[in-house]
Parts: sequence; structure tokens; C-alpha cells
Amino acid sequence: MDYVGRLTAHLPMAPRLVLMKSDGSVSIHADDRAYKPLNWMNPPCTAREEEDVWTVTHDKSGEKLILTIEEILHDSSHELGVDPGLVKDGVEAHLQELLAGHITTLGDGYTLIRREFPTAIGPVDILCRDGAGGTVAVEIKRRGEIDGVEQLTRYLELLNRDPMLRPVRGIFAAQEIKPQAKVLALDRGIGCVTLDYNGLRGIESDVPTLF
Amino acid sequence: MKFRVDRDVLAEAVAWTARTLPVRPPVPVLAGMLLDVDERLRLSSFDYEVSAQGSVDVDVEEPGSVLVSGRLLAEITRSLDSQPVEISTDGSKVTVACGGAKFTLLTLPAEDYPSLPDMPQLSGAVGSDVFASAVGQVAVAAGRDDTLPVLTGVRVEIEGEKVTLASTDRYRLAVRELTWKPQQPDISAIALVPAKTLADTAKSLTSGAEVAIALSSETGGEGMIGFEGGGRRTTTRLLDGEFPKFRALFPNETNSLAEVQTGPFAEAVKRVALVAERNTPVRLAFSQGELVLEAGTGDEAQAVESMEATLEGDDIKIAFNPQFLLDGLAAIDSDVARLHFTTSTKPAVITGKPGDDGGADYRYLLMPVRLNA
Repeated sequence: MDYVGRLTAHLPMAPRLVLMKSDGSVSIHADDRAYKPLNWMNPPCTAREEEDVWTVTHDKSGEKLILTIEEILHDSSHELGVDPGLVKDGVEAHLQELLAGHITTLGDGYTLIRREFPTAIGPVDILCRDGAGGTVAVEIKRRGEIDGVEQLTRYLELLNRDPMLRPVRGIFAAQEIKPQAKVLALDRGIGCVTLDYNGLRGIESDVPTLF
Repeated sequence: MKFRVDRDVLAEAVAWTARTLPVRPPVPVLAGMLLDVDERLRLSSFDYEVSAQGSVDVDVEEPGSVLVSGRLLAEITRSLDSQPVEISTDGSKVTVACGGAKFTLLTLPAEDYPSLPDMPQLSGAVGSDVFASAVGQVAVAAGRDDTLPVLTGVRVEIEGEKVTLASTDRYRLAVRELTWKPQQPDISAIALVPAKTLADTAKSLTSGAEVAIALSSETGGEGMIGFEGGGRRTTTRLLDGEFPKFRALFPNETNSLAEVQTGPFAEAVKRVALVAERNTPVRLAFSQGELVLEAGTGDEAQAVESMEATLEGDDIKIAFNPQFLLDGLAAIDSDVARLHFTTSTKPAVITGKPGDDGGADYRYLLMPVRLNA
């Protein structure tokens, strides 16, 4: 493979994986470094096949990727269709669902009022009652940082204007709470709870425990 | 306010009090250390969870009180020459003079400083060295994970003259029994004390012969425990929650009992564990007269070491997390370690050999790991 353009590069003859995608791009991979090709040509470009030599020319810059093919080990073409997109883990939503289902994680006697409790400035993750019957607003985060505490503070201020609900206490629940966020939360009288995602999901670690 | 004091005495008291200064003070005055002089000098710090008050004898010229940055005062007193220190106020400034050095510090508004929680009612006293070693033995097994706050505490059970300390992180459980001198002979109390605070406190109160322990009654509100000894007193808030029923975790009967020299055993575990990758165990095989330690498997580095051991009962092969095993061996405080086994999947009990120093007061229950893990 030879690259001719702003700089020249050469890859010696060796077994390679050559990917030609439907956008026209061509990339040459080795058997390592995951998604990273050894060399490639970005679209828009044109590939021209001449016996054992493929020439991929960039439509604008004219840079060239010249592939000399000695032997084809495997040649196949697949239609992948429309990409459905990457689905994010959704841990936060899942944590909300799990915590609502195991509301006593927060303490004995806690009962759920509802998830996504609506307020004028957006829904509160969980509204529940503690063992003594007091209303508790819970903000759930994967990583508990300052802005999460601020968000909960705004909700609490609003909820505490409602004579049917007040007094409303806050609990900041996250898989991991940053020290700064903890200081701010405790200073505002907001409780902090560290959530065990795997524990809530009922996934036990494979290390045996005493109980 | 004006007084003179020996530099070493002052530096030690300030350093001890400064341990409780909050790392991130939510209000500026909490970063301060309160110096209060009447007949003695009292130094106070407080972070809403833990309070500390140290007092030392000083030559008082003029009583008074002042609040200064605790960290700065600690750093200054630590680096002063070994000469008498004179501290005095001058308007809104504090002057610390020692030999040729003179520091002028800004004061914080002392009237904004929160009042320290009162010491709960005195419950009894215990020898400070015994207490420090007992707490050290138990606190090692406490959890450090905030997802289970209950396990970050040391359970303190008081029943008359007997005190039981216990902590567990679910992988191991450490229990220590000791006797103390209660104020009332029929006292019965339970507390869950943050393990880290308790360990630090117990270690730092060994300057006096005894530590007085004060436990607030469980009449609602937030529980509090206080410790006092050698002119230092500290209080800490208790943890809430149900501690696991730890006594039931100990096996009722065991099938084999091994005895090994603690020091050489610990050394061997450390050596063999060098090849144990993260989360891989050290495997122990006990047979008559011999213990074989192994770590590492298959295509990784491996280590084997054999040593002398006595065994009563069935031969046993069992695997442990090396660090947890070492923690237990370090904590038993005995030359000979006794290991009680049921089976290779049931928890093992590590104790010292009773007799030499009453090592039976302490039990360390350790959950084994799967042998072929």
C-alpha cells in the first residue's frame, strides 16, 4: 500500500483487512488496535480497480491511496442497512426505576408517592414518604456533583411552597457522591445516599460473603 | 488575651485538635480553632460530626478567647523552635512569638463559632492502651463503602463490665471483648460509632492512663459518644441502622484446628501473594505437620512455599484474599495463630493462642474464596 499526498507513507506487503464502506471510504486494518486503521481515505473519494492495483483518489485534494493486491484470502460484501444508533446505558433511568421498586433502601418505612413527580420546573425523580410520614424528594444521579444538589435545591424550594406537601426534605442519591457535592448537600440539610447499582439489580458479586 | 506556653506542649495539643478541622468547611468559622484561656488553655475544633477539645496548662497573663485559622496555627506551632511561645491578642490580630520568630494572624469572628456539643453523661472508663489496641483490632474489618453505611461503623455493646466491639465488611468480621469499669454495674448500651473516627480517637488518647467513655441515652434525637483522657476530649455522632446479627455468623463447630507461627506465616503469605494478581487468592493446604501456601495459576506466575504447622482434625485446602488474611494475622496480637476450619467453603476463625496474653478475647472470622477462582 502506498499513500501519495501531503505526506507519503508505505505499508509493506502483508495480510491486511481492507474495508470499503458504502460512503466510499477505504481503510486498511491490521490484527490489532481495535477501530483504528493503519491508513485510510476519507470520503468523498473514488476507487478504481486495475488488475491487482486499486487506486483510491480523494475527490477534492487528489490524494491517493494505492493498494497492490497479491492474494485475496476472503472477499465478501454485506449490506448493513440503516444504523439504529448507539443506545446509552440509561443507568440513571434504571436507577430511578430500581430505587422506586426498593424504596426502603432509603430507610425503613419509606413509601413511594410517585416517580417523575411533576413540578413547574420539571419532574422530581422520586417523591416518597419517610417512616414518620414526612415528604421526601429524591434526586438521582449516576455521579453526584454540585449541579445535582443545585437542581434538588430548586425542586425543594418549589415543593416547599405547596401546603399539601410541606415540609419536604431532600435526599441526593447517586452511585458516587463527590466530596464537594456532599458538603453542599449536608450544609443545605439534604441527606446523601450512595446507591449500589448492582445490589439494587440483584447482581451479587462473585466473591463469597459472610452474610 | 495573653499567655505563655512550652512549644512542644502547645504543638502537640494544636496538632491533635487540628485533626478534627473540616477539610471543606461549609462555613468559614469552622476552619478556625478556638483558643480559650482562663486557668488553662482550651483548644476546640468542630466539623458538626466530630468535636475535639484539648486543654493544656499555660502561664496566663490575661484570659480571653480568640478564633484563628486552625491549619495555619498547626503549621506554625509545628515548625517553631523549642522555646517558650507567647500568644497574645492585639485588636483584631493575634501574635504568636517564639524566640526571634513572630507571626501575626487574622482572627475569625469567635461569636459566630458554634458551641461544641456537650459531653454525654459519663458511662465508664477503660485503660487507654487496651482500648486503643482493641479498637485497632476491630476497625480493620470495617467497611469503607458508603453504599452500606452501617458497615462503616464499629458496633459497641456494653453489658455491665463487658464491652464487645465488632465490625464487618461482609468479607470478614472482627470481634473483640474487653472489660471496663462502668459507672453503674448494670449498664446496658449499644452504639454504632464511625470506625475511622473511633480508630483515630482511640489511638490519640493513649497519653492518659484511662479513657472515659460517655454515651448519650437513646432517648430520641441524635446519638452521641464522647471520649476523654489525658486532657483531651472528643465527641462524635453515632451512625443509625441495624447492625447485622454478627454472633450467629460464627460456626457452631469446627472440623479442624491448625496452629502456625504468626510471624513466619504472615511473611510467607506476603511472599506468595506477590504473584497473586488482583482479586486472586492465596491457597492454603493444611496437613499433618505441614502447611503449603500457593498462589498464581495456569499460565501466570506461580509461587509455592511450605512451612511447619500443626493440625488437629481433617486435612483442609482453603483459599483466602491475601490482604484480608494478613489483616487478621496482624490483628490477633499473638505469636501463634490458631485457624479453625469447618469446610473450604465455610468461614474460618482466626484467633491467637490463648494463654500467652489472653488472645481468646479476639476473633477474626474470614470468608474463604472459591479454591479454583
